[in-house]
Amino acid sequence: MTFSMKRVAAIFNKDLKDLSRNMYVSTSILIPLVLAAIYGRMADELSIDTYYLVINLAFTMTATFIQCAIIAEEKEKNTLRGLMLSPATVVEVFIGKSLVAFSLTALTIIVSCLFMEYNPENIVLVAVGMIVSTLFYLALGTLFGLLARTVVEASVIIMPVVFLLGFGSLIESFIDKYPFLRVAEYLPNLQIIDLASKVQAGSGLADVWPHLGIMIIWFLLTSLITIVVFKKKEIDV
Amino acid sequence: MVEQMIKVKSLAKIFGNQPALEDVHFEVNKGETFGFLGPSGSGKTTTIKILTGQLKATSGEAYVFDQPAALLNKPQYRKKFGVVTDNSDLYDRLSIYDNLKLFCDLYDVPAKRINDVLEMVNLGNEQKKIVSKLSKGMKQRVQLARAFLHEPELLFLDEPTSALDPANSKHIHDGLRELTKKGTTIFLTTHDMHEAEILCDRVAFLHKGKIQLLDEPKKLRRQFSDASLQVLLKDGRELSIPGGPEGAQALYDYMQADQVVSIHTNEPTLGDIFVEMTGRELV
Repeated sequence: MTFSMKRVAAIFNKDLKDLSRNMYVSTSILIPLVLAAIYGRMADELSIDTYYLVINLAFTMTATFIQCAIIAEEKEKNTLRGLMLSPATVVEVFIGKSLVAFSLTALTIIVSCLFMEYNPENIVLVAVGMIVSTLFYLALGTLFGLLARTVVEASVIIMPVVFLLGFGSLIESFIDKYPFLRVAEYLPNLQIIDLASKVQAGSGLADVWPHLGIMIIWFLLTSLITIVVFKKKEIDV
Repeated sequence: MVEQMIKVKSLAKIFGNQPALEDVHFEVNKGETFGFLGPSGSGKTTTIKILTGQLKATSGEAYVFDQPAALLNKPQYRKKFGVVTDNSDLYDRLSIYDNLKLFCDLYDVPAKRINDVLEMVNLGNEQKKIVSKLSKGMKQRVQLARAFLHEPELLFLDEPTSALDPANSKHIHDGLRELTKKGTTIFLTTHDMHEAEILCDRVAFLHKGKIQLLDEPKKLRRQFSDASLQVLLKDGRELSIPGGPEGAQALYDYMQADQVVSIHTNEPTLGDIFVEMTGRELV
C-alpha cells in the first residue's frame, strides 16, 4: 500500500481538533510563550543563552510533551489500536501525529522569537538547526509516549527531560567545578546553543556542521530506539 | 465448493504458564455468521486478536482470506475486515461525525456513508453529539457504525450488544442481517445465547480455551433434546410427556378428553446445552 497524504491529513486534522479541546495538554505551549514575553521586556538585547533557554523549553514542552501526551492518550483510551487496524500505515500514523506537535513547536518558537526580538545572523542555518532539533524532540516524545500508559504518567516521566534538556544550559555553569559534566556538552540542547552562538558570530555551514551532525545523530539514535520499542509493543507476544 | 474465510488448525496460545487456547480447530465459511460462544475468560477475545494479527499464537495455524492471520496486521488487508472489541474506544472530545469522518478518510469512503451507518445503528439524528456525552450503549453503537463504514468482507464483533437495551439490540441485529445478505462474513463472540440463536448459522462453544461443541444451533438443540413435551392441563397440572409411542398415546388421551391447554417442546436452549456441557453458567 502506498503512502497516502489523505490519511496523514486525516490524522493531523483529528489530532488538531482533539488537542484544541484538551486544555491540560494544549496549555503547555503557554509556558515558553509567557517566559519569552517576560524576557522580551527585561532587556533590549538578550544573550544567546537566554534566547535558547526559552527555545529549548519550547522544544521540551511542545514537541516532546505534546507528542508524548498525544500518543499516551491514544494508548490509554485504546484508540491507537483502532488506527493501527485501519489502512493507515505505521509511518502515516506517526507522521500525522507528529505534524501537530511539529506545527505547534514551530509556532511557539516563532512567536517566542518575536517576543524576545531574536534576529539570527543567518536565519537559514538556525532554522535548519531548529528543524533537526524539533525532529529529535518529537522522536523523544514518541518514545516516552510509547512507554507511558496514561497522560498523567506521561506528564510525570517527561519531567526529567524538561529539566535536563529544557533547563540544561544551566549545567554548563557547573562544568568547571565538575569536569565529568563535560559530556553534557554533547546534549542536543547545548549543541543548538553552540550552533546559534557561532552563527551569531558570523560562522557559516562549515563551522556549524559538527553541531548539526551531533544533533542528527541524536535524532537517528532516538528514532532507532523508538522503532525498537514500538516493534516490541506492536504485537503482544 | 464453499469458500472459507477463516481456517484455524490446532491453535494454541499460552500466557506465561496459563493456557488461553488449546488445540482449537474451526473454519468459517464466506457469508456465514459464526458464533464463538463462551463465558468471560474463555479465550474469545484472544482468538479475535490472533485472527486480526494483533497477537501471535503460541502454536498452530490460523488463516484469514487464505493468508496467515499475522498478515492481517499489514495495511493491504485492513480494508477487507473490521473489528469491534469491547475495548476499542472512540475519541471522546470529538463529535460522532468527527469520529466517523476520520475513519472515512482512512478507509477512503465518502463522508455521505456516515448517514447510512448511523441509520443502521439508530443514531441518525445524533451526528453532532460529543462522544463523552454519550451513554455506554450509544458509544457501542458508534463503534459498530465505525466498523460498518467500509462494508468489510469480514467483521469481527466481540460482544457487540453487551451494553444495549433490547430495542437497540434488535436494530443492530437487523443491521447485521442486512450485512450478511450483502455477503459479509461475521465472526461473533458473545455470551448472549439468544443473540447467538437468532443470528448465527453455526456456533462453537469455547470453554477453558477448548472448543467443546460446534454445529448449527438447531442441530445442537435437536441433539441435546430428549424429544419430550411439556403439557399444561386444564386442571393446572404441568406434565412432561416422553417421546415415542407411549408418550404419543398419553398425549392423545389428554387431547381426546379435552384436557390440554398448551403443548411445548422441551428442546434445550443454547444456554442449557452450554451448562450441560461445561457445568457452569455463561457469564
